[in-house]
Amino acid sequence: MQSGALKRERDVREAYAAHSGELYGFAMRSLGDSGLAEEAVQETFVRAWRAGDRFDPQIGSLRTWLFAILRNVVIDLGRARAVRPGVAEGGIEPSVEPLEQALLAWQIEEAMRRIGEDHRHVLVETHYRGRPYAEVAAELGVPEGTVKSRVYYGLRALRVVLEEMGYED
Amino acid sequence: MKTDRSDNCRDWRLLLGAYALGDLPEEERAGLEAHLEGCPECRAEAESLDSVARLLPLADLDRFSHPAPQPSPDLGRQIAATIGNERRAGRRRRRWRAGLALSGAVAAAAAVLAIVVLPGGGGGQPEQHVKFGSLPGGIQIYATLEPHAYGTEIHMYVKGVRSGTLCRVYLRGPRGERVPAGTFTYRWGDDSTAVLSSALDLSRTRAIGVHAGNRTFVAPVDAAGATARAKSNQEDLT
Repeated sequence: MQSGALKRERDVREAYAAHSGELYGFAMRSLGDSGLAEEAVQETFVRAWRAGDRFDPQIGSLRTWLFAILRNVVIDLGRARAVRPGVAEGGIEPSVEPLEQALLAWQIEEAMRRIGEDHRHVLVETHYRGRPYAEVAAELGVPEGTVKSRVYYGLRALRVVLEEMGYED
Repeated sequence: MKTDRSDNCRDWRLLLGAYALGDLPEEERAGLEAHLEGCPECRAEAESLDSVARLLPLADLDRFSHPAPQPSPDLGRQIAATIGNERRAGRRRRRWRAGLALSGAVAAAAAVLAIVVLPGGGGGQPEQHVKFGSLPGGIQIYATLEPHAYGTEIHMYVKGVRSGTLCRVYLRGPRGERVPAGTFTYRWGDDSTAVLSSALDLSRTRAIGVHAGNRTFVAPVDAAGATARAKSNQEDLT
């Protein structure tokens, strides 16, 4: 996308198609309310369109730019909500950690969703549920060494997905 | 020899995941660490995986066990409509300001008064360009009223009130009744136009009011589209 290209409504539609899911996911995780999350995404694209001339792909990707705008929108909405009681919907609680940590946590959760089922399963069972490797191996009907190798490839896959999402160590 | 070294590394590397998570039994861990001592490639891989493993506790299993939440299917259309409205409002405001500049001499003579009727709007129906007069210093309020089948679309431009002020807009009907037209929040530095709507037909609209902070500003609307004849008042809310 060229510099300032987000001034055209068609480009906004394309940007929405490409990034709205991720933006909404992070907004939902941070705000914990579907209405507020949609408001945040809408405000993000409207601000991006208003400031479209300032977008420079030489500086960073469109995705990074949109997330930077969303971050400010979430802060604004969070301040506005601070005077109101928190709202939870659909069993998702609003995030209470600092925003940068919330963004990182959301990236890892999204990366966990994106890796293969076999890899996610062994990471969940061994790391998050703390089950012995032998027990997981027996349940899956595979050697224990296979569980270890899946943990290895699972972490590698996570690293690749996180890099694709712009995470830098 | 190279093949032996590669095969050897591959076997050790398969343990690096469990090692990074601290799950490797003592015996295997000791053997792996001995290998890492002499193998910079495997050591680099171990460090890389370790940085990923340290992130895992940040993720919440309950959250990523569910599918990622998705916005409603209408959100994209809403955003497109909002941006389209803003763009059209921006054009109208520029045109309106150009009209004001042309009629500057007349406007100066009329002093507190300013309704400018310009051609435009859909289907040949006139849209009304309203300027609120007699405003306190620094405050500017303009409105464009556009007739629609559902009522009246209102584009409000406010400048100079305190940032964060909630502005409530209403139209006044022929019997003096107030018909709400929505709210918006004025933000300092934001030069955009708020787009609102009311169920009251433009042909029945006699005035437009904006309640901002503790004050209400009212400007008459010449629904017949005749020569401008308006007075702007500042009402006190009681």
